[in-house]
Amino acid sequence: MKNKRQFLFRALAIILILALAAVMFVIGRGHTVYFDNKDAEYDGKEYEAFYKVVVIKDKEKVAKLESDDRGMTDLMGQTLTVTVEITDEKGGESHAHKVSMPVPYSMDGIVINVPALMAGLPAEAYMSEFVPIAAEEEDEDEEVVIDEFEISDDV
Amino acid sequence: MKKINLRQASVPIMFIIICAICIPLSGLSPKMLVNEIVTRMGRNAFLILSLLIPIMAGMGLNFGMTLGAMAAEIALILVCDWQIVSVPGMILAAIISVPISVLLGIFCGKILNRAKGREMITSYIMAFFVNGIYQLIVLYLMGSVIPIKHSTIKLPRGYGIRNTVSLLSMRQKLDNMLAVTIGGVKIPVLTFIIIAVMCLVIVWFRRTKLGQDMRAVGQDMEVARDAGINVERTRIISIVISTVLAGLGMIIYLQNMGNIATYTAHSQIGMFCIAALLVGGASVDKASIGNVFLGVVLFHTMFIVAPRAGAYITGDSMIGEYFRVFVSYAVITVALIMYETNKRRAKSAASQRLQEEQDAESPAGGENS
Repeated sequence: MKNKRQFLFRALAIILILALAAVMFVIGRGHTVYFDNKDAEYDGKEYEAFYKVVVIKDKEKVAKLESDDRGMTDLMGQTLTVTVEITDEKGGESHAHKVSMPVPYSMDGIVINVPALMAGLPAEAYMSEFVPIAAEEEDEDEEVVIDEFEISDDV
Repeated sequence: MKKINLRQASVPIMFIIICAICIPLSGLSPKMLVNEIVTRMGRNAFLILSLLIPIMAGMGLNFGMTLGAMAAEIALILVCDWQIVSVPGMILAAIISVPISVLLGIFCGKILNRAKGREMITSYIMAFFVNGIYQLIVLYLMGSVIPIKHSTIKLPRGYGIRNTVSLLSMRQKLDNMLAVTIGGVKIPVLTFIIIAVMCLVIVWFRRTKLGQDMRAVGQDMEVARDAGINVERTRIISIVISTVLAGLGMIIYLQNMGNIATYTAHSQIGMFCIAALLVGGASVDKASIGNVFLGVVLFHTMFIVAPRAGAYITGDSMIGEYFRVFVSYAVITVALIMYETNKRRAKSAASQRLQEEQDAESPAGGENS
């Protein structure tokens, strides 16, 4: 009886820890989100970049974009919630829009095209994966230092 | 009132004197100095607390805490590659590091049971042995057998981990959570709460059946065995707890640093933690929570001011750098010599007492013969 109870408690503890780990996987997933204020094209229709876009996340201004600019911010979790302040033309009044959207778990870097987003287009139109341009292959391999007390040939 | 043992207090007194001389020479403002000490206390205290339980079980200073540190580093590397950031990343790293630490702790404990009376040197050498396995995993298996996706972590050759892994996504996230600034000094409240909880757990643990068993084993293994305590199991548990706590402490340490020196971060950590504990007035067979905090303050004050004081005195900051490393090793050596001297003195006093008792019992028999 005691053994059975002990086994149950241990099993429960392991399940709880695994569940906690699973939760951490979801809520702790980090992404880099890039905001593009660039012309977009979808279904043969063109969407022009705005004169000025300001992106606010958690009451903090994370990007201030003019036409053809790109800004970025870090995101933790699977939902991006930002306020986008748009100025359509020089000297014009800005109007703010609160936007919330789920982001794909598998993407490290996500590019969001603001004009497409504001036009209410589907996610595939305004969201794409950021693929870093492959850096030139490093000529030399990094020398790994594994022993601080390594005896060199000079000794 | 508790009497202060001057012999035991000699190391802290010496460090107080060194600090008292070096602080004015260093030219550091009190605010900056306090800031540094508070930061280092949050960074190191948990790691040093992990050393208390093996001392309680009579296993001396656990140089094998490095094993826990390696488990934590493996966990953090994986978490970094999976892009789990901030506090959730640290929690996940802790969850991953615990089973690795438990396995390493059991392994270490079993070997130490075969080397009773030589635990410190055995655990020290074992740390080197496990370091070899760690290097095999990190340098060859990660990226080739264990999937590693990001090129920022992986070596350019396609497998193995770079010398430094950035933990920018979790840097000081724990320290900054609930942090308050008083008089220009940042106090990492949440980190201190975690350390305080750990202290309470240790105090509670000492009063439990297992804690009492460990103390009994620490005092005399044979008597403990006669009292029905499973000595070997108790010793293994103490090493497992120490290794697990060292792993968790290493995560706190590295989140504060903001990067992992993949191949060297763990190698010095055991040495500096043990030195700090000894500077706090602990010995090989006796240590308290008070020793941990006094040790962190004194040892790290010396660490902060020594290079600057060295630069002031000799014009070369490297002298101070050498001095602090020299002192770290020297304090461990002195503690070990003192421990061995006391042990031999106690042994010879006991044999002398026995001799006197035998002489007192057999004068008549001696005369008759």
